[in-house]
Amino acid sequence: MKSREGSHIDDFTALAIMVKSKRVKTASRKKNANTEKPSEDLNQVLDSSDDDAPEEVTFGDSKNEALRSLKLALDSAKREKELLKEKRRKRQELFQEQKKRKLLPAEVLEEIESAPSKRVKESSGAEEDEAVETKRKEKKSVEKHTRNLDGNYTVTTMKGGAAVSFQQKAAEDFIQSRLYGPGSCRTTNNQMLSLQNKRGSKKSAAVQFVKKDWALQQKAKAEKLKKRWIHKLQVPS
Amino acid sequence: MGEFMVHRVRFFDYMPSAIRAMAFNAGTQRLAVARADGAVEIFNFADNYFQEKVIPGRSGRAVEALCWVGGRLFSAGLNGEITEYDLEKLRPRYSVEAYGGPIWTISCNNQGTLLAVGCEDGTVKMFEILEERIQFQRNLDRQKGRIISLSWHPSGARIAAGMIDMIRIFDAKTGHATHRLLVERGLGTTRNTEVVVWSVAFLSDDTIISGDSAGKVQIWDAATGTLIRNHLITKWDVLALSVSQDQSSVIAGTSEGTVVQFQALASTMGQENSQWVRTRTFKNHSHDVRALVHTDTAVVSGGMDTQLVVRPLLDKVEKNTRESAMRKILFPHRNLVCCAKKAGLLLFQFPDHLELWRLGESNMQGQPGDILPVMKKPEKLLQLQNKGDDHICCSAVSPCGGWVAFSTVSSVRLYKLQLSNGNISINKVSKLPKELHSVYQLCFSSDSSRLFASSAQASVVVASLDQLQCRHLHTLKPKSGSSQPIHLLSPSENGKWLAAANTDGQIHVFNLHKLKLHCTLPVYSSCPTAIAIHPTTGHLLSAHADQQIFEFSLKLKEYTAWSRSLQREGLHPLWLQRDTPITHITFNANKPAHVFLHDLFMFCIIDQSLPLPQARKKLYNQMDLKTRSPQERMQESHAFKICKMFQHLLSVDLLDNSSLVVVERPLADIVSQLPPPVRQKKFAT
Repeated sequence: MKSREGSHIDDFTALAIMVKSKRVKTASRKKNANTEKPSEDLNQVLDSSDDDAPEEVTFGDSKNEALRSLKLALDSAKREKELLKEKRRKRQELFQEQKKRKLLPAEVLEEIESAPSKRVKESSGAEEDEAVETKRKEKKSVEKHTRNLDGNYTVTTMKGGAAVSFQQKAAEDFIQSRLYGPGSCRTTNNQMLSLQNKRGSKKSAAVQFVKKDWALQQKAKAEKLKKRWIHKLQVPS
Repeated sequence: MGEFMVHRVRFFDYMPSAIRAMAFNAGTQRLAVARADGAVEIFNFADNYFQEKVIPGRSGRAVEALCWVGGRLFSAGLNGEITEYDLEKLRPRYSVEAYGGPIWTISCNNQGTLLAVGCEDGTVKMFEILEERIQFQRNLDRQKGRIISLSWHPSGARIAAGMIDMIRIFDAKTGHATHRLLVERGLGTTRNTEVVVWSVAFLSDDTIISGDSAGKVQIWDAATGTLIRNHLITKWDVLALSVSQDQSSVIAGTSEGTVVQFQALASTMGQENSQWVRTRTFKNHSHDVRALVHTDTAVVSGGMDTQLVVRPLLDKVEKNTRESAMRKILFPHRNLVCCAKKAGLLLFQFPDHLELWRLGESNMQGQPGDILPVMKKPEKLLQLQNKGDDHICCSAVSPCGGWVAFSTVSSVRLYKLQLSNGNISINKVSKLPKELHSVYQLCFSSDSSRLFASSAQASVVVASLDQLQCRHLHTLKPKSGSSQPIHLLSPSENGKWLAAANTDGQIHVFNLHKLKLHCTLPVYSSCPTAIAIHPTTGHLLSAHADQQIFEFSLKLKEYTAWSRSLQREGLHPLWLQRDTPITHITFNANKPAHVFLHDLFMFCIIDQSLPLPQARKKLYNQMDLKTRSPQERMQESHAFKICKMFQHLLSVDLLDNSSLVVVERPLADIVSQLPPPVRQKKFAT
């Protein structure tokens, strides 16, 4: 009993740190705990009734508890940050390795870089004028449409461009949605013509638009039969 | 009268384009109509509403607004460009990029010095109108939201701009927005959607009239920026407004197809305080009305149902006269179908492609009025797609069916066809003479050896056609240099004459053997709509927009006796009251006295050997004559034999084997392909 009472007190010191409003909760929690183990806690329930004053907890204890929980929170946050950092670092290394693998070995790159310059040197020696001229021409034609900016970027003006630009399409969509979009109360031409037939001075049936590509095979068959029959008509005459 | 086997052709799927904008030039009485495919048409209101000129469209050019400045025509579209049109060369003169995004509206001030455009980015840009071009002057204060409509105050000092949810009034000199008029949104569920002010009109007594997408026409006081009067005219949008010249009447066009008129009337006689009162409602359209023009005497409306309707106002014209009749212009006033007479082929001209069809055959005989079964169905031989964005201006097929040519504003293309029992092969003629570059009308000679093309400065280019070559032979130039384009070309059967008519009313006849001008007909006040040269007698027949017909003898260089007697007796009043022009004249080789003409609703055979109809007798007497005895028929029959069996005729032609080809376009087929109309709940439906 005494030990239980001791544990009982520990419970209280822990709970006293919590907010006032939770006191009812804790009481209910205790009660729930009690329902789980009815035999053991019956005595506790009997012991802790609502008339008793709450247990006193020293200031120092509660302060220590608060500091401890704060520290716990900070520690966990730090740990998480470090974990993320580690992950990021590992990922970066992985990407760099992949990149290295993708690129050709350094020696091959050096060779390639040296090769065109060698070629240029050769051509400049033999056909200097022509090469320079063609280069100038190329440069000129290239300059009309492209510009080289710093940092390996080129700007090229597009030829012609799309027939219907994005803005024009957006404007057309605006008109379309205002006139024919939702909430515009539209009906079909079929309906309109049928109503005209119905209300006209000479009443007639509703208009039905025939689908021309309906039952094509049957129509073809009927055509053949018709031809055969007409041919039959002609033969005796 | 011979009996003809009639090929009734209904497989020409011609689809006219919706009318998007209109502008009227009161000085020259010309109406410019912009269609959804970018084409601009000019109608001459003084000449029986004849469609004089057509500037072909371009895919990607979406014209939103038109504006006349004196005699110059400007358009602005969603491609962000302001285009000026050359009305003599029938092409855009130049385009100026406004750099404001899509342009929604364009308007010119009364003085004709500044052009204001409203752009997508919220700026109103001012352009100075110079002699040969326009130049950007400045921007007015930039607004948040697109500028949908603009209107100048008649003094040119202020501009009203309709935007979304509001109207702004700008001071034209400083460029600052002085007033903001907030437009109320609709009721009920439409309260969540923004209201678009589709059109505004600024009147000289400082009132602004606006039409918006909530169906309201609102009258505002521009000096104080307050709402004076609110008229709810429809449940749908009010898409267009137009003010009359004297500012006493305003018309508003709605999505329902109605046009509502408001007039400034004083509440009691003699009092000064006039209010805007709703007076008339016209329901002439089945689909949205997107363009309106208020002329002095009539209300002109056009919209998504592709019809142009001119409704004269009965308080401005005399009742029950020809001027007071409502006019509906449904189809273009020129021929879109070319018939190869010897080969029995039809060439259909669409804006972006051509179709060549072979006619069907039926080898049964029958009584007049019978419908013969088609043994061999008509088949589509060829579809020629045009490369590039420009639309096709004119096209032609040679009578033997061996050559096909078409032209756009930028190029001419010629193809050689070979038809041999079921197989068709086509070769493009690559090298064309450089004189053939901007062509308004194309025509082949009857023996298919020459190609005639009407080009700039009223000249005609003659090119010879060989196996696969086209060489320039000569350029025929008339003496008087009229700058108007030649819209009609007609060669004679024997290849000796070529007649060319331009929109100024001049008809020139050239001698092809000598390759020079033979004579010029006396200029008649009305524009010619069809010309043809008789194969045997060598007379030139011309039909004009006011329904007059003339016959001119080319040998004697004077009007023939028949033509003089026709003018003396006058044409029958019912003939003169027809409102569609004659677009094609052709002849029957077996019966030289017969002339075949057609317009949209009838085709007529004029028998020049019979007496002319008298005014008090019936004009359409064919049905009548059938019931009479042969003697009475001889007495009663007159020269004009009119048949109205086939309606909405796009073309009537006579093939070499004496069968008639009639190309019809039923209106119901066009209506079925239009965009959806509004849903109106009518009682008891």
